[in-house]
Amino acid sequence: MNWTRYLRTWEFALVVLLVVEILILGMINPTFLNAENLLYATLDFTHILFAALPLTLVIITAGIDISSVSVMGLASITLGLAWVAGINIFVALAIALLVGIIAGLFNGFFVAKTDVNPLVITLGTLFMFAGIAQGMPALLDLLGFKAYGSAGLAAYQYEGITGLPDNFIGLSEATVWIIPYPFIAVLIFAVILSLLLHKTRFGRYLYLIGVNPKAAVYSGVPVQKTLVWAYVLSGFGAALAGSYLTAYFTSARADLGGDALLPIITAVVLGGADILGGSGTIWGTLLAGLVLGFLRQGLLAIGVTNDLIQVVMGAVLVTAMAVKQLMNVYGEYRLNRKALANKGRG
Amino acid sequence: MKKILRSREALITGLLILLILFTGLFNSNIFKFNSITEIFNASLTLVLISLGEMFVIFTRGIDVSVGATTGLAAVILGTTLNLGWPIGWAISAAIVTGIIAGMINAVGITFLRVPPIIMTLGTLGIYRGLMRIITGGSWIENLPQSIKEPNLWRLSGIPFYVWLTLVVIAITAWVTLKYKPARYFYAVGDNEEGAYLLGIPVRLTQFAAYTLAGFFAALAAVVFTSQIGFVSMNAADGFELKAIAANVLGGVSLTGGVGTPLGAAIGALFMTAVHSMLIFLGVPGIWDNAFAGVILLTVVYIDYHVRSALELQRRQARIRGDASLKGGES
Repeated sequence: MNWTRYLRTWEFALVVLLVVEILILGMINPTFLNAENLLYATLDFTHILFAALPLTLVIITAGIDISSVSVMGLASITLGLAWVAGINIFVALAIALLVGIIAGLFNGFFVAKTDVNPLVITLGTLFMFAGIAQGMPALLDLLGFKAYGSAGLAAYQYEGITGLPDNFIGLSEATVWIIPYPFIAVLIFAVILSLLLHKTRFGRYLYLIGVNPKAAVYSGVPVQKTLVWAYVLSGFGAALAGSYLTAYFTSARADLGGDALLPIITAVVLGGADILGGSGTIWGTLLAGLVLGFLRQGLLAIGVTNDLIQVVMGAVLVTAMAVKQLMNVYGEYRLNRKALANKGRG
Repeated sequence: MKKILRSREALITGLLILLILFTGLFNSNIFKFNSITEIFNASLTLVLISLGEMFVIFTRGIDVSVGATTGLAAVILGTTLNLGWPIGWAISAAIVTGIIAGMINAVGITFLRVPPIIMTLGTLGIYRGLMRIITGGSWIENLPQSIKEPNLWRLSGIPFYVWLTLVVIAITAWVTLKYKPARYFYAVGDNEEGAYLLGIPVRLTQFAAYTLAGFFAALAAVVFTSQIGFVSMNAADGFELKAIAANVLGGVSLTGGVGTPLGAAIGALFMTAVHSMLIFLGVPGIWDNAFAGVILLTVVYIDYHVRSALELQRRQARIRGDASLKGGES
């Protein structure tokens, strides 16, 4: 029977975890057992999903992109400033997404062309993009764009840009039947990434690079090109997350998403991706993101403070990894025992 | 010449001097004795955190919880002081907190086999959360004078904490270069399996590295609290990333087994100096992060090219059979 194979996958375990979690939350507070409420609750962590999904591809190549939290703010402030400059809000959105792609290109080229650890590179760009995002309003002032308001654009640095048009803000609240637009966008994004990862040659290259980069080079895999694309997708996802947050908070700010690093990486890792590369799936990341997001929502609903939730989230990450590692060790031990027993018999 | 080219400490010190000279062209106030000591004084927290992080990076690990550990230790220090504990006891409590925080990371990484970045990312959340839970989210103010006092002490015009940090750097440098078990950090980071086969206690070494990171983070907390005079809830926020950047700038390679305490300290000094320079140049503080990022990327990029060029040279020499260059192998 082929389908039993699926019962033993990590993704299935996550589905079970998700169902159990929702049931428990429902027992505590019955309003949770309402599909509409559940879907509405996803709005609170949609940005995590947008950023975590493409990050999975990067982590599969044994890389990492921690600059995505800065790209969120960069995309947000770009969107806001473009709108202030009189550009149509949807063109501004396109510009913000383009900025994410450019940021990803920068990371990707740096990672592909040098042997410097991706953590160092994206740490550098984390500072750089955050700095550019913070400085951009003041820079535009310096360049002579002084027409807007008496305090200049620099005022937006601290206040954020508000008053964005309703047809843009509305995107974060609109629904098809009971499914919010942003969640539909997440699902479409996940389907595209999943097809890329699991059904194309590009996807296989990502795994091969993660398992053995040298073997990848010698078997003619376009390693550099593949890596650049992975980081570009990550930058794009982060820009999407930043744009979404802008609509959700109805304000464009340079520091949006700054505290999202922990949940983003937790989602990818809990989703089954190995931080050392070579394994991971898009659906795993999506499910783990949902498990974590609902856990947070549920804890908030029963009156747990934000601070304690942070502690719980940290503990979940560490415990999940420890259990996984110990299960690996146990699995190896069992295999060894089995091998020894067979040898004894033979 | 080659040796100097290879030494990241030299590269970064050169850059630092250039930066100071460049700033001096526009604002000669930077050459004043007070300005220089002030830059040193401002860098101490980061220097101490970076020294702890260095041991972890030596072993090819990473610790992104050090900033949170500093914050947590500062909260413990402030809370116990305001409870009326004598200063010695309060400082001890803070240091013990740091060591325990480091040991928790160490247990997860060495015994439970959780990858370092995951483990410390998790504890980053935990320690930051605990900070707010302990204080209820409010700042710790009205600290007794006894903790603020040492910040005013001066010895031949130089603040007490600068001396203290110099002594800590000197001890760390002497120990890591001369004391045999301290070389284990390098061995484990350079080649974990090789170190294991040589009989080096690999796990114990890793354990010690994370514990030391916690210890240094707590030391930084004491200096930090004394200098600032209060503990805010985002105390030392983001210092973990700055400490990693400082180490990389100072030549402590994330691939493990490479670097010196002096390099780590100069890297941290550099990170802080950039901030001070921008103030002297009259550039708004919002550009700090952008400059820090550009400098970090530039330095690793230059370093990559220097390394590639040297590698090429070495290979060519090997092909030519040039014996005189064989010494450059290491």
